[in-house]
Amino acid sequence: MNHILTRLRAFLSPPGDPVIGRVRRKQAIVSALTRRLHLINCTLFLVGYLWMAAIPSPRLEKGTYIDENALQPGQVNTYWDWGDVANADRYLEQLEGLRDHNSTSEQRGNILKTEFIKLGIPASTQNYVFTSSTGKVQGTNVYGVLSSPRTSGTEAMVISASWVSRTGQGDGTLNLRGVSTVLALANFLKRYSLWAKDIVFVISDNYVDGMQAWLNAYHGSTQSNLQADSLELISGVIWTALNIDYPGHSFSHLGIFHEGINGRLPNQDLLNSFHHISTWTGGIPVLVYDHLDSPSSIPSWIPDAYHEEIHAYSYRSKNVLRHAGYQARGRGSGVHGLFHQFRIDAFTMFGLPATGPHGFHALGRTIESTLRTTNNLLERLHASFFFYILTAPDRFLKIGSFLPSAVLISVAMMFGGLREWSDAAWILDATTPLEKKEATGQTSGPWIQRSRHVIPVLGIMLSTHLLGGILFSALTTSWFSNNQMVASAMLICVAFTTSLCALFAPSRDNKLVAPTHQLLKALNLCFASTVISITTVVNFSLAMSLAILLGIPLSISSPSQSLPLRLIRFTMYSGLSLGWLFAHDELKKAVWDWEILGVWFAPFVCVVYAPLVLQAGLVCLLPA
Amino acid sequence: MSLHWKSRFIWSLCLPLLASSRSGYFETFDEELTVRALGDGKVASRFSFSTLLAGATPRNPQNLSVEDESQHYTLFPLALGQILREYAVTELHLTLNAGNWDYQRWGYPDEPDVGTGAQLWAWMGEGASTSVDARWRGLRNALAGLFCASLGALDEQLTTSPALAFAPQGALPAWSQPHAVRHAALAAEHVCTENLTPFLKLLPCKARAGIAQLLNPHRLFDADWHGMGLHVEWLPDTGVQVRLTFQSVTNPLRASSNRRDWSFSSTFDRTIDRKCPSASSSRILVTDPMNDGYRLTPTPWTYEGQQLTWTLDDPSLVGGNAVFDLIKQDVPLDVSMRWAVEFAHAARPPEAALSIQRSLHGASQAHGTVAVAIANAGPDTVRAAYLETMPWIVTFYLHTLELRVDGVLRPDLLQSLHYTPPVPHARATTLEAVLLLPPRSTLHLRVEVTKAFLRYTEHPPDAQRGWDLPPAVLVPLPFANSSALTANSTSVPSNANDVRSARRLYTRALLVDPATPDFSMPYNVVIFTCSVVAFVFGSVFNLLARRFAVVHAPVRGT
Repeated sequence: MNHILTRLRAFLSPPGDPVIGRVRRKQAIVSALTRRLHLINCTLFLVGYLWMAAIPSPRLEKGTYIDENALQPGQVNTYWDWGDVANADRYLEQLEGLRDHNSTSEQRGNILKTEFIKLGIPASTQNYVFTSSTGKVQGTNVYGVLSSPRTSGTEAMVISASWVSRTGQGDGTLNLRGVSTVLALANFLKRYSLWAKDIVFVISDNYVDGMQAWLNAYHGSTQSNLQADSLELISGVIWTALNIDYPGHSFSHLGIFHEGINGRLPNQDLLNSFHHISTWTGGIPVLVYDHLDSPSSIPSWIPDAYHEEIHAYSYRSKNVLRHAGYQARGRGSGVHGLFHQFRIDAFTMFGLPATGPHGFHALGRTIESTLRTTNNLLERLHASFFFYILTAPDRFLKIGSFLPSAVLISVAMMFGGLREWSDAAWILDATTPLEKKEATGQTSGPWIQRSRHVIPVLGIMLSTHLLGGILFSALTTSWFSNNQMVASAMLICVAFTTSLCALFAPSRDNKLVAPTHQLLKALNLCFASTVISITTVVNFSLAMSLAILLGIPLSISSPSQSLPLRLIRFTMYSGLSLGWLFAHDELKKAVWDWEILGVWFAPFVCVVYAPLVLQAGLVCLLPA
Repeated sequence: MSLHWKSRFIWSLCLPLLASSRSGYFETFDEELTVRALGDGKVASRFSFSTLLAGATPRNPQNLSVEDESQHYTLFPLALGQILREYAVTELHLTLNAGNWDYQRWGYPDEPDVGTGAQLWAWMGEGASTSVDARWRGLRNALAGLFCASLGALDEQLTTSPALAFAPQGALPAWSQPHAVRHAALAAEHVCTENLTPFLKLLPCKARAGIAQLLNPHRLFDADWHGMGLHVEWLPDTGVQVRLTFQSVTNPLRASSNRRDWSFSSTFDRTIDRKCPSASSSRILVTDPMNDGYRLTPTPWTYEGQQLTWTLDDPSLVGGNAVFDLIKQDVPLDVSMRWAVEFAHAARPPEAALSIQRSLHGASQAHGTVAVAIANAGPDTVRAAYLETMPWIVTFYLHTLELRVDGVLRPDLLQSLHYTPPVPHARATTLEAVLLLPPRSTLHLRVEVTKAFLRYTEHPPDAQRGWDLPPAVLVPLPFANSSALTANSTSVPSNANDVRSARRLYTRALLVDPATPDFSMPYNVVIFTCSVVAFVFGSVFNLLARRFAVVHAPVRGT
């Protein structure tokens, strides 16, 4: 025993100066890590990507629950009855008449306003015009404010329906039943004195632009390309909003759409309460989005025991992919998405078109009960219930279960960048005779320190980002939207030829000065890693997409001696960087989103993503 | 029969006793109920119980150190009388309202003080051994106890002394020292049964007889709007008058979507079964809605003719009143109004010539904009005082104040501005601006504000819904060559008589949301804070306690 102790003591404090021992130990640890840095990086990448692949796995998720005690979902008797359904049907007939007569926005607005006034609810219309590079968008919103009895009117809830349904991202399917639900609800809700907050009914024109104009006017924010009437009626601070989308004749399920613009999400308590109420009060099954959990074909050679899990995985992966698609593009999955920018928790309930069995009756009961729940709120929904991925209607991923995946990749990139950075400072002294090294039996020779000139590298990076900025301003001109095909080809040519200047970069003595490509790669990796890790909390889906698109490509960029190889590599990188210019529809939509709704995706891609990849391309192009 | 005689006899014994009470004031009690069918189908009712202490004068604060005359009242509420004498209050107005008065649809209210929540304002004489502010504090706390309301929260941080908007309704005695006004409003106050019970206790017949029988809390607090008020005024030729008021707006259309018939039993779920013997007059007035299609039962005792009502654009005729004199009428009394035709909502012209709408813009927790739209639908330019009494958590950037009509800057419409800046953690802002409102147009007033960053102990312990900001007040003023604002706020404005007849308009309350830590997660907060402190301390301690020396470590491999 004593023997072991002395051995251990000798190991921990070797003879000699203890300080030197400590320094040595530190050196040993650092060199052990740096020698295996490649392995560590590979492991981080592997774990990160595997983790991303595991996000839809049912093993990571948790069952949803209600965090805010005040909500008390589904604890009330509902009074919405068949009389109200008949009212909704009458409104629907009227709306169908409007549709068949091809009435203009303004006519429609006035008729809807009259309907609200007939109910004794103060109502008004708001005309708006958006000007964008693709043309003008105009319409007329209608809204009514039901002042609740005895309340000071400082808080409000919104029930909204857009004239155009979210089907096909607003492809023109009308949301007539959604609008008639709002009208019938207005008729119904005014009969009760239990509302603690004002109820604001909004029927916004078109798909998303109407609501954007209305919300801007309500919150007094200005948008340079928007001309809108100011609102005659006003209520208090809006806390929650329910958006109703019911395009079909009947529906079988209610789908939750919750992603807001710029990757914002509503408080999960709202969605969980709705799920609870819809299932238990309304008797309507709930979906995330509008696809059913259809049986998937699983190859027969897989043992039966795994079928359930594979099926669950494939269903959840569909949900996660749709979530990532909406969130990463910052587009939002419906009209509700616009509310989030004003700290209003909102979601869309989407009646999945089907032949049955549900209609106005079940929908009305569900909305009534959900309103009673949000009416209970004493304070804004808070807690940290804003970071989640809904994998199924009643299952979700906590932030700790998905966030590390992208962070791991960004850490790997940061390690790679730092490695490049420290490598750039040293070069093996080739002048030392080889024999001498062999004679001493050393693997590493004497190292010479060389200076790292950062300013030109930063200059290169800055100019790529400037190029991105120019590209973006070109995208938002009407010239681009008019001749997209030619314009994108031209833009790519310009970006490509400008980058080719790098071929003629003067090559310097590598012994004195670190090569530019190495420094560029180091800074490029570090910057990309920082961008990814910051984006994780703001918009996880975007961070995940960046991690996938940038992680490996940026890490493997390297210069080469042969010119054709350099050009080929650069072409590949510029394809990755600017290839999206040929996705015309997507591009048009992204620019429209930026101009009308202020979605940051288009400028982000132009100013951050494309330059980052272009820099990796330049690493290959620069003389070795 | 013998019982009747016996009670007569006892009364006749008592009456001389009452009349010869020490104070010797003659007291009368009058009650009145006004019911008015509103244009949007709702029914506004106003109860007014007024007790007059004939010949009495308010206590001169200079005599506060001298023992007061003893108080013997028969009808006048003693609990209130003691408070008034103790703090030498000349005039007092307390209102507890719930809801927003909708001027556009309901017109001007019978009682002008309809601001959401609690509002207290008082005129008190100066020159006492205790300052006005000390007496104001005592008055607040005493009334808070009397009415079971959180009037104690109307502290120095909410108290202001506006010069124009709250002119005395009665008269002020000509003492050697001037009078001062104190005003405070608490928008977050919730009004309910616990406030009504002490209110009823101040009435001579409580809720057991007379029109006060109709004050049924179950119905009143289910109304669309309700508010109770206490008004103490000194009328120089008559005496000190205490008026207790209760206003409500009920909605008969809530139960049935097209019948706006109302009756006492449907509105209040009660009828008047007994007369209040103390009341010298007891009247029920039902305003004629100028529409033949209704029937009033029972037949009214009398009709009052067409009467002039004062509106802004021009004095116009409205219907007279059907009067039920409760002293002469048979009881039980259940007045009801039935309409021949069903009611249909329709767009109506606004009932009030002026309307005011205020909102707080901006989603940021640090900055915002207060936007006020004042519409004047009348044919004449109106001169009006706009009063903001903001708690210090919202501070105006006065240089950003701008007035626009139809998008055009109109600085000329601002006649004068009286501004008392806030003192953080201590005093509220007072912004009183005299504006000219051009005819048939809307004046937009905008001013940027900053929202305070509060100390953590200043956050209320309740759920964090934000802070209620008191309603702003708009008072139409007569045109005058000399601006009243030049007058010292401690003295009565020279044109007090004109201001008195004016009607105040209240805006809705606002909710401001300053930066708030997430108090629901103290555990996380503690962990984060401790980690940061430990990290900083550890690093600093390491640097301080370490001895630095140069060590020649052998380079690896050499």
